[in-house]
Amino acid sequence: MITMSARPHLYSFNGLANHSIKLKAWLLAWLFIAMSGASQADQSQSNHLRFGVLPLQSPTKLAGMFLPLTDYLARVLGRPIQFVTSTNFSRYMDRVTSRDYDLIYLNPLLYSRSREHGYRVIAKVASEPFTGILVVHRDGPIKELSADTLPNGLRIGLPDPDAYAATVMTRQYLEDLGIYIDEQMQVEYFGSQDSALLALHSGLVDITGTWRPSLRSMPEQIQKDLRIIAETPPQPQMPIAVRDDLPEDEIERLRQALIDLPKTQEGQAIIEGLGFKKGFTFATDAEYLEVSK
Amino acid sequence: MTEAHNPSDTKQRRRSIWIPRMFHTLRARLIVSVALVHVVLMGLFTWEAVERQSQELHQELINQGHSLASLMVVASTNSLLSEDLASLDEVTRRVSDQADVVYGEIVDVRGYVLASTRAGRVGQAVGSAIEHNDNFPLAAGDRVFDLREDVRIGDSRVGFVALGLGTENLERALAATKAKGIQYIIIALIIGSIAAWLLSLAVTRNLNELTLAAGRIGGGDLNVRVGVTSYDETSTLAKAFNLMAASLQRSSREIQLEHRKRTEAERLACVGEMAASIAHEIRNPLAALINAVKLLGHTKLEADDRDAVTDIVNTESQRLQRILNDFLTFARLPAPSMLKGDLIETIEQTIELIRHDPLYDERITINRLYDDRSHCLFDPDQIRQVMLNLMLNAVQSITDKGQLILRVTRYGQRLNISIVDNGCGIPEEAVSEVSKPFFTTRKGGTGLGLSVVQRILAQHGTALSITTREGSGTEVSFELRVAN
Repeated sequence: MITMSARPHLYSFNGLANHSIKLKAWLLAWLFIAMSGASQADQSQSNHLRFGVLPLQSPTKLAGMFLPLTDYLARVLGRPIQFVTSTNFSRYMDRVTSRDYDLIYLNPLLYSRSREHGYRVIAKVASEPFTGILVVHRDGPIKELSADTLPNGLRIGLPDPDAYAATVMTRQYLEDLGIYIDEQMQVEYFGSQDSALLALHSGLVDITGTWRPSLRSMPEQIQKDLRIIAETPPQPQMPIAVRDDLPEDEIERLRQALIDLPKTQEGQAIIEGLGFKKGFTFATDAEYLEVSK
Repeated sequence: MTEAHNPSDTKQRRRSIWIPRMFHTLRARLIVSVALVHVVLMGLFTWEAVERQSQELHQELINQGHSLASLMVVASTNSLLSEDLASLDEVTRRVSDQADVVYGEIVDVRGYVLASTRAGRVGQAVGSAIEHNDNFPLAAGDRVFDLREDVRIGDSRVGFVALGLGTENLERALAATKAKGIQYIIIALIIGSIAAWLLSLAVTRNLNELTLAAGRIGGGDLNVRVGVTSYDETSTLAKAFNLMAASLQRSSREIQLEHRKRTEAERLACVGEMAASIAHEIRNPLAALINAVKLLGHTKLEADDRDAVTDIVNTESQRLQRILNDFLTFARLPAPSMLKGDLIETIEQTIELIRHDPLYDERITINRLYDDRSHCLFDPDQIRQVMLNLMLNAVQSITDKGQLILRVTRYGQRLNISIVDNGCGIPEEAVSEVSKPFFTTRKGGTGLGLSVVQRILAQHGTALSITTREGSGTEVSFELRVAN
């Protein structure tokens, strides 16, 4: 069993210097670092595994989706699992970089980066192709995506520059069509998939990049008001990875528990709550080599 | 003879020992009772109000705590899940600005403090389990009301907030309420006492008037009446009192009239009796004189017989003179001239007179038992007459050798003068008669000696006391007032 004392700090804030944050946050971070050193003995007594989920949705909504899964996995492992997310992709990756999480759920692109820090995939979302989608308002000005007909100056809403399906894949898809969003459109990042979709629905932007599970999680009325105008070619699905210092037997039990989810009624409910079609399936690092390129 | 004890009197006396004398009055009891009722009722009311307010304040603090804790939960849920320490710190900072907040903390599901109003707490492990929330009353010395509330997403717990509210303001408010309650009690006590005092004045004013009137009736003024000015119970009592006074006055008049009639009758009877006595006393010597004068008229009377008859005339005429002198002394006794003097001197002068009396003999011994403090108020001539008559009676009662004891003893403000002889004494049936005029058992006596003594002593405000046993002796005594 790996104790938390193996890590130097409870949280790592190394990446914060690269971002614009408030001075106050820095002070708090330093305070936290100092206090975490003093209370390392206490922390080492904590038995929790930390399950870091990429902030694709609002924290509360994300927690509503993933907490049944963490509870289920905790029962399987016989030790508690703490659900955590972050304020944005950058800070999330800062913590991944500092190996702050034991388990992670993130997009294929960020997973390929996390491998450098000792994370290994154990499962991925099953069945449904991992695609990015471009969504417009049903009554909006965009009727089709064509470099010839699309007027300049449209506003596009995206969750985060590192959002793989919603940003990276859709951006590539549009470029393949001859549409360069940084030149022809006004790009706005809203922090999460939900925010980007809500911005489209409220008229703040004309088109939004996202992925299917986020659209499905929107209220029905909002889904009716929006329509998918394009979908990118599929890529490997969202993976769940573990830090390489977890005991092998725990890693295996976690993997098996994820794959066995659809076999029980409780597991099916968890999958439904996550917005997935079939749950999880076995995955290997090789599947994500292409993504990292 | 033993005194019979009434149990209720004993209880009353025992209670009186514990209750100060000033509280025995109706007024004091009324004031104390009304004041006590005010204090008790006001005390109960205040206690109830303080208790109610205490509950309300406690409930208010509890509600405030729960509201604040719920707000903390709502405000910190997203930041707690995303471990946004800056936002969590903002939440606790705002919480610390709220009134009564002693501390506020946000703890993740592992039990680590992520934000706190208390310095040095962030990052510390406090345990993931929620301790029980405080309830009122708090433990002794505890001045912080502790609240814990889970942060939940669905059925899953992701952390908790801890909140401590200080009870100083609450306790201050309760203390102020209690102080105000005590003020109300004191005000009620003052108002109640004043009201009771005024009420007692109204009740006892008429009673005071009745008390004064009763005192004047006791002093003999039966003309006194009390005014009836109201229609309450005291006016009923006043009416009854006036009726009683009128009845007393009527009875007194009747008694006085009756007494006057009886006195007049007695006086007339006494005059008749006196006249009869004088006539009886005079008739014998006068008859002897008439016969003697008739005999002296006879020429054939021998010289010896003539001398004998002449002696009878002289003797009986002297006896007549003595009877008349004693009677005049008795009838025309002058008012005493009270002087301050030494009574023993007067007694010694009397003893000297007795020594020269033919009746006195060396066979009689006189013992003197005098108190040194023998000055008193008296008429020396009259008291000398009293002592002379009493000592002559004593000497004459001694037929053989005897003893006369003269005792002067002081009792407070009175001097007791006593003459004791061991003579023949007075027969029991004659004791009540000896003081009546013209009663005598001695041959040649006029029977006016003790009557004169009684009259003189009466004028000195005292009376003669006689204690006798036939064959053993007699003691006569009287008292005089000591001169200050």
